[in-house]
Amino acid sequence: MELNPALLSELERILGPKGVVATQEGRMAYECDMLTFYKGAPDVVVLPETTEQVVELVRFCRREHVALVPRGSGTGLIGGAMAPVGGVMVSLTRMNRILELDFPNRCATVQPGLINLWLSQATREHGYYFAPDPSSQMVSSIGGNASTNAGGPHCLKYGITVNHVLGLEVVTGSGEILAVGGKTHDHPGYDLTGALVGGEGTLGLLTAITVRLLHVPAGVKTLLASFSAIDDASEAVSAIVAAGIVPAALEMIDETFVRAINEGVGAGYPKGAGAVLLIELDGPDAEIEAQARRIVQICRDHAALEIRVAQDEAERALLWKGRKEAAGVVGRMSPSWILQDAVVPRSRLPEIMREVQAIGARHRLVIANVFHAGDGNLHPMILYNDLEPGEVERAMAASDELLRACLVMGGSVTGEHGVGLDKASSMPLQFAAADLNFMARFRRVFDPDGIMNPGKLLPSHPACGEGFRPRVPRVPAGTWV
Amino acid sequence: MTVAVSAPAALGDALAAIVGGGHLTAAPSQLAAAAVDGVIPRWLAWPGSMDDVSRLITVASAEGLAVAPRGSGSALDLGAPPARLDLVLDLSRLTDILDYVPADMVATVQAGVTLEALSRELGKHGQMLALDPYGGATRTVGGVLATNASGSRRFRYGTGRDLLLGARFVQADGTVTWGGSKVVKSVTGYDIPKLLTGSLGTLGIVVEATLRLHPVQPASGSWLFSFTSREAAGALVASVLASSLEPDRLAWLNAAALGRAGQDPAPAAVAVSVASVAEAVTSQGALLDSMASRMGAHVSTLDEGFWTRMGGALTAATVVKIASEIRRLPFWVAEIERATARHGLSVTVVGEAGNGIFRAAAEGSVSPESWAREIIAPLRETLAAEGGSLVVERAPLGLKRAADVWGPVPETAFAVMKRLKAEFDPRGTLNPGRFVGGL
Amino acid sequence: MTALAATPSAFDTTDAPSMDGLRACVHCGICLPQCPTYRVLGQEMDSPRGRVYLMRAAAEGRIGLTPGLARHLDLCLGCRGCETACPSGVPFGRLLEATRGQLERHGVRAPQSDHTTRRWALETFPYPARLAPLLWGLRLYQVSGLQTLVRGSGMLAPWKRLKAMEALLPAVPSPASLPEYIPARGKPKGRAGLVIGCVQRFFYGDVNVRTARLLSAAGWDVVVPQSQGCCGALHLHAGRLDEFRGFASRLVDVFGEVVDVVVTNAAGCGSALKEYGHWLPGEAGSAFAAKVRDISEVLVESDLPLGELKETVAYHDACHLAHGQKIRAQPRELLRRIPGLTVVDIRDSDLCCGSAGTYNLTEPAMAEELGRMKVERIRETGARIVAAGNPGCLMQIARHAREMGVDLEVVHPVDLVARALREP
Repeated sequence: MELNPALLSELERILGPKGVVATQEGRMAYECDMLTFYKGAPDVVVLPETTEQVVELVRFCRREHVALVPRGSGTGLIGGAMAPVGGVMVSLTRMNRILELDFPNRCATVQPGLINLWLSQATREHGYYFAPDPSSQMVSSIGGNASTNAGGPHCLKYGITVNHVLGLEVVTGSGEILAVGGKTHDHPGYDLTGALVGGEGTLGLLTAITVRLLHVPAGVKTLLASFSAIDDASEAVSAIVAAGIVPAALEMIDETFVRAINEGVGAGYPKGAGAVLLIELDGPDAEIEAQARRIVQICRDHAALEIRVAQDEAERALLWKGRKEAAGVVGRMSPSWILQDAVVPRSRLPEIMREVQAIGARHRLVIANVFHAGDGNLHPMILYNDLEPGEVERAMAASDELLRACLVMGGSVTGEHGVGLDKASSMPLQFAAADLNFMARFRRVFDPDGIMNPGKLLPSHPACGEGFRPRVPRVPAGTWV
Repeated sequence: MTVAVSAPAALGDALAAIVGGGHLTAAPSQLAAAAVDGVIPRWLAWPGSMDDVSRLITVASAEGLAVAPRGSGSALDLGAPPARLDLVLDLSRLTDILDYVPADMVATVQAGVTLEALSRELGKHGQMLALDPYGGATRTVGGVLATNASGSRRFRYGTGRDLLLGARFVQADGTVTWGGSKVVKSVTGYDIPKLLTGSLGTLGIVVEATLRLHPVQPASGSWLFSFTSREAAGALVASVLASSLEPDRLAWLNAAALGRAGQDPAPAAVAVSVASVAEAVTSQGALLDSMASRMGAHVSTLDEGFWTRMGGALTAATVVKIASEIRRLPFWVAEIERATARHGLSVTVVGEAGNGIFRAAAEGSVSPESWAREIIAPLRETLAAEGGSLVVERAPLGLKRAADVWGPVPETAFAVMKRLKAEFDPRGTLNPGRFVGGL
Repeated sequence: MTALAATPSAFDTTDAPSMDGLRACVHCGICLPQCPTYRVLGQEMDSPRGRVYLMRAAAEGRIGLTPGLARHLDLCLGCRGCETACPSGVPFGRLLEATRGQLERHGVRAPQSDHTTRRWALETFPYPARLAPLLWGLRLYQVSGLQTLVRGSGMLAPWKRLKAMEALLPAVPSPASLPEYIPARGKPKGRAGLVIGCVQRFFYGDVNVRTARLLSAAGWDVVVPQSQGCCGALHLHAGRLDEFRGFASRLVDVFGEVVDVVVTNAAGCGSALKEYGHWLPGEAGSAFAAKVRDISEVLVESDLPLGELKETVAYHDACHLAHGQKIRAQPRELLRRIPGLTVVDIRDSDLCCGSAGTYNLTEPAMAEELGRMKVERIRETGARIVAAGNPGCLMQIARHAREMGVDLEVVHPVDLVARALREP
């Protein structure tokens, strides 16, 4: 699946000289996404600017039997945007325009490289916004969000990216331009739009996306409640759900993170709290007032130490800044880390939290937690020092135990980050052979030659000859090689 | 590859052996009642478990039989007449609620559970499944998902596409398969449940569904805003959409629909419901009232029973569903009212105005050829130009034969759908010929 | 697992970029949309994340000090917008300067970069004695009408860089005289040493005069050491660290212990001056750096008597003020104190205008793209005046506004405050 250097000139013809990067430095810069644990440099990186270029590119790769690895902003956490078997990496970052804003129809059509937040910034003054808000939204692209079916804190109330995608233009792995869905809400036939979202670049390259826009809610109320024990916070979460309230967002942050966020982002979270709940309500003022009162009562009933309500937009933004930048702030906390993304049924939250603490104790590692408590999606960060002998193994063992614990409780191996390379081999923990087989056959319908993002999403079966070996040994970031 | 063709009697015995003699029939009267678009099957079976379904389909596949699933049987109209039909699988014995944890707001049910049975159970915990297809209380979950049926609540909550989290289904060769997840948030692998929703069972028959639930709101209010013109009604819809009001239903009714729902007729009306805490219902109701009054509406309050009555308004022999851009809905309602009036038909129109979707139920007699050539075809042509569609959801057999019930699907998309069907049901076991393009 | 043998770093141990700084990057990418070169080029190697990644790869011995690496670092504006965005505290500016220093000393040069112009700029601008005669000639060029002829005819078109340089020329003022000492008005708060800069003292000498006047009005005794040289910022940013240290220690000596605050009105200088503690050995550097203030920081603490100025001014955040010194509120606050003055924000205010020291001379294409983007954003505000606290920004914005036909008065905030100042 590697590229014959003689074919570089053909790529330059298709994309123009500025659209092709083949230098050592260039290829190295693209060898990983945010999960630097997995490194795999492509043979060449191309940066198309039109759908036509993408079509020619896919047909070229199919002809030459070369792997294609799509990439957006490279902020994924699953090793999805790296090239384990080399090939051509396709960066969609230059296709970043808003093609159309259609407020009467509450939708917008955008190019895949458009940064998520930029869409809402362009529509907010008109009273609309794009609801999916992954924590990476200030840099992740809508194409990337659609490819991984990204979530974010507000998906508790509003759903995940697929619930906000109305239509797609895709160049499939067979080199065809496929237009599915559109501005209307029903289309006869199979829901290909729904099935393509979350394809993680294994089915084709998204070249245009029609998304749903929501009207900006009448009011927003953001509360921060701190607790001395994480159990109290977890029980409060369950009680809020049991009260029939679906907040727009319901996030939990533990003390390790609170400390780091305060240092790194200066968000002013309560010092010394064992756990902090960030709760956001949005909607009609009367509704959020009533819900806020109820939530305050619930928090008090669960021994909340302090409850703060943001008084203005600036305060609200600061409360959220801490949560959104939590992942980045880890740089201050530890030389290395493993960020897990797992899910349990909401009702098992207190249980999994205790298990996480136990696992951390067993492996003598600090596990910091920030997560979407409202939907049971947890992001434990297992902190370790890669320069200390034995720590990386303990971290990986802890991570594995954690994932299995979630599965035992009826959860999932990934809540919102996706499968990519990182969880591909874990898929059999959740799916039987027949289920995986169905998915593999589904994939082949769009990518008959298997050139799209090989090694991702589904476990490779060496028996089928589709097995790959990573070009670079799996070495934790920061280790001297 | 040759298809094993056993003698019919032996085949019937094999099928009966799977479900038990009492749950398989070849009695003509029962088979006639189970006919689909006039095509009478050879057997009618009532499987009692996932395993039954799997084994029945395995045999069917091996023997080259064509299978059609049915739930309550009330939406069998949807789709083209079957190319072949040998075995009807009635899933109404599969009525277990397998797993329901109110704290998770997720329930896993068998396909034969009816919406009203589910609603009763969920209601005990103040929760609901937000699917409300018209006249659909007696419909089964499996049927509703297979047809992607929905009602006016879709404005706030979405359709089966958004509410189905995971599904256990039986493939065309009998393999029991799982797709999706059991929790509200999971992005593991391809979203197979999306593919299955609305697929009429042609890629697999859903036997168990894991569904996302919502809390029942403490209070609700409903109002009717009647106008003397479609334009004015359209303007209200546009204003509501451009505001921060959060109704859960935003429906469109024409004069005939109003009559059937027990309201005074008017050329066009918008019915809105808001569900929330009492104060929010009152305040939003007041906002709606003043907004609509300023636009010349006649305002009246509705009782909750109105929505059921409205759902029962679409009972004519021919029902078409039009999907258009949201802002074009008033235009297309006018178009179909005019097109049908020209042929002496009267239509009852009920729509989800906030989604650009409406259904028109036509009464009167027009030849199928006229229907197809003079009403459906021209509408489809102009609709297609703006990305819209017209699906004939129910029609007498003559019309189904005269017009393609599904309408055109863009070429490249259809090519992929054909490949999917060929991949997952190469022998045409599941509902052959009933889906788009004769799939 | 046993510790693996380390591959030798591509850097030597003199002023090597900090490994802790490099390892602080978690590869989150939050810096990408804040980086002007990433916004223009959309490619990873010309983003802060990519640059840090390559620097770290060099430190880990995975790549050498290559011309390719040099090129991606040459394209970096050094605006430090990435530092503002970074949640992990990666000290990008210092990593950049250290790596540039390494490349410089190892003689690694990117063939695509303009070394001639860079060398010329580094050997001219920081030396008043060399700059003065040049300016004399330029003044003649303008006053004689030759500039009008040249610009009107477009004759410099074939020589892109020369044309770019010419286009940047502001109106060269007649040499402004600034006395060595200006007493405070009223009871003095202390002694303020004024840094007059290099480009600033010749091209915007009047800004220096107004700065001194305002300091005096604010109650400071102003000391203007006439023998002061360059602060060394250009050399620091270019990675010529030993030469920078030379400029820096000379400047520290010139100001001596005798001042309470050291005031500058040029963002680029201020940012470098505040880093003296990091780069100079011993205590003198940090003692000096602790005294450094931007003029807006000083004036905002005083209560100046200001008359009305009924105007709308768009405020542009010079990178070395907003990112380099975290100064955003003070200049805005200061301007808002002028009665009748409306201060508006510019969209993407803190995205570099493309000036970046001598960058707009050595990388005219990228600088032009950014300059035009900046003027477009200013145009969107509808303001007829734009204020920025850095001479480079003023030249860059003025040039592109002129070329785009946007009628804009380009001023230093000090100009507006001075205009509004009520003399007793």
